[in-house]
Amino acid sequence: MVKKELLKNEQMERVLSPHPLSFMKLQSLCIFVIVWGIIVWWLTDFSEYAGMFSGNDWFPLILWGLILLLVGVIASLVAIQWSIFFLYLGVLAGAVGLIFWQHWEAYIPLFIFIYSIAVSIVGFLIVELYRRSHKYIITNLRIIFKGGIFTKRERTIRYDKIADIDAKQGVLGQIFGFGTIIPVSQSGFGLGSDKTMAAGGVELGSTKARFFGFAGGGKEVQTPIARSYYELHGVYPYKNVKQLVEDLVQSHVPTQYQKEQSEFQKQQVDIQTQMRDLLHKHVSDQPRRKVGRQPVEEETEEEETEEGEVVQKVPRKKVVEPEEAFQPEQVDIQQQMKELLKKQKTARVNPPEEEEAEEEEPEEEAEENEEGKEKA
Amino acid sequence: MAPVTLTVDTLFAAMFAPILGVFIFWFLQLFFIELQKRMLGRLRHRHEAFCRFTNYIGMLFQTISQALGYTVTRSGIASFQATVNYGEVEPKKEKEGVFEWIARSFLLFGPFFIPSGLILLVSVFVIGRGFVFPALVQYTFVESLTGFFASLTSYAKEVVGFLIDIDLLNPVHVGWLFVLVFLGLGIRPSYIGHERKEKIDILYDLRHIKDHLVEKPLYLLVIFLFLYVFYIVSLFLNPVVYIGLFTLFGWMSLTAIIAILMTFPLLLLIKATDWIQPQWKIVPFLSVPISYIVARVAFLYIPTSQIGRMSLLVMVLSTVVVTIALLRYKKTNRFKTPPKMKHMRVADGKKRTSKK
Repeated sequence: MVKKELLKNEQMERVLSPHPLSFMKLQSLCIFVIVWGIIVWWLTDFSEYAGMFSGNDWFPLILWGLILLLVGVIASLVAIQWSIFFLYLGVLAGAVGLIFWQHWEAYIPLFIFIYSIAVSIVGFLIVELYRRSHKYIITNLRIIFKGGIFTKRERTIRYDKIADIDAKQGVLGQIFGFGTIIPVSQSGFGLGSDKTMAAGGVELGSTKARFFGFAGGGKEVQTPIARSYYELHGVYPYKNVKQLVEDLVQSHVPTQYQKEQSEFQKQQVDIQTQMRDLLHKHVSDQPRRKVGRQPVEEETEEEETEEGEVVQKVPRKKVVEPEEAFQPEQVDIQQQMKELLKKQKTARVNPPEEEEAEEEEPEEEAEENEEGKEKA
Repeated sequence: MAPVTLTVDTLFAAMFAPILGVFIFWFLQLFFIELQKRMLGRLRHRHEAFCRFTNYIGMLFQTISQALGYTVTRSGIASFQATVNYGEVEPKKEKEGVFEWIARSFLLFGPFFIPSGLILLVSVFVIGRGFVFPALVQYTFVESLTGFFASLTSYAKEVVGFLIDIDLLNPVHVGWLFVLVFLGLGIRPSYIGHERKEKIDILYDLRHIKDHLVEKPLYLLVIFLFLYVFYIVSLFLNPVVYIGLFTLFGWMSLTAIIAILMTFPLLLLIKATDWIQPQWKIVPFLSVPISYIVARVAFLYIPTSQIGRMSLLVMVLSTVVVTIALLRYKKTNRFKTPPKMKHMRVADGKKRTSKK
């Protein structure tokens, strides 16, 4: 399946997917729901504080819901992702809806326990499906990123377009050997920003005069950040993959010799362009004069036929162009062309000499080494 | 408070009794740490991630100890880094002399006492019993030592009693047990630095501590003098304060020993499951909670006076029986290569052998 997507002359190096623990942030949301559900059940039904909840059937649900939302707000603020809060709000709404629908008011603590486990299992399954939707294909030419459960997303980045590589490994990653690698493209894809905002408000006066003041401040920091389907998220084994990507990027970066070569080719093209222009100029500057062609001598050509008979052909007249006296401008052009040709020749001569010198050195060194070995 | 009779024993020898007690328990702690290290060392080739995790806990506490040392000596912290492979704390100001010595002392002794101190703190709230300071009649060396040990014995009894009666359906108890085992896996100093050290054992630790103490004998003398003054003052005001201070360290060492001992069943279970076929490996681990819950439910219908203890016993016995049965009937092939053969295949589908 993957092989079909490859380009001509493209070879697959590795096919990767995120480590099962690499989405621990999402999994921890489910873990919290389970743990909190168990605690609420224990608190309301088995602990020494059970009496506190005996007044009203809805007390356990209120406690459970309030803490769930509070944690949702804190997690959303920390992760700068409000979807966490809305997710927990949805979980709470689902619980309330089910209780009303099925009239389970008398069994709220037990319901919270079972509901928490059920919701968390569904959460774990969704996270696992999401993880499995990711696929990273590292080939010799590019990296292909794929992901998404409902909306399939794909990103391709060629190694020569990678400007920077960001790599990070959390504590879990260090323990289990996985990590995240973000290739930042030259266009800046893979870079995001962390924003922090502080605000404060002051209200003065109680009954008649009121004054309201507001002060705020913000800070934005550029940081490598990308969605999990646009980065090598939680890949295992991290060190090997990082090394592989860095090697591939390095192999696509032009080396010093390649740079010199391209510089030389550019120079050649420039010279040739200049020469062409000069030639054009030379041709256009020539005066269009009608010169009578003078026959100089007559030549008779003889041709041998297949049969071996010598056939004498009609004599042809050889035409000699009359020598023209060059204008001073044209002399200049010719001079310039001569210089350019000289320049081209010198440019052509130099690189191979350098190359030879580079090639000869290792041989000489090898010979010296061999001699040294023999002496030893 | 009993009246103090000033004898040579009271004035000079009794002071050393709690110090000796702390040293004895600290050596015991070192011994158990060494045992745990050896067990972990045997697991390493199959459970690299688990060993890295335990190392990280140790490394984290060692780095915290170092940072604490720099904070106490007011050197400041320029950078703090605690990764799985190494920990690094850089002070803002490089202080020398006594400050450097104190900071280094924190680094050497902190990992032994900081995690156990945390467990002790949690135990105060969860167990809440057994924290009895010794009440002495005569302030002699023997009596001080006896009082010190009596205090530790009462604490140990309470902790062990709590462990026997632990209610694993109580989240607070489960949390305490989790903290005990979690920190128990990391109550040990780990090597700090970028270089990889292969052999860091009890002798390595002791050699470092000895070098550190012998390096500045004058500082040691000053500490002893300070302690002596503290002892004399407390002797006339309230002798329990002096012994109580060392009893606290004794409790910490004892807590550390209990925590390390509690990790042994886990390590043994991990070790035992290495010999079981992969698809059956999970069974002994599942047996722990399942057998406990089943026993608790069963004892609701079978009247028993000590449901908690009996359930715990059933849990332990069933886990042992299940593990032994699996070891007997579902033993793995010992000659199998540790990495799976399918991992040897590369992405292009070509088969490759493990040998290069």
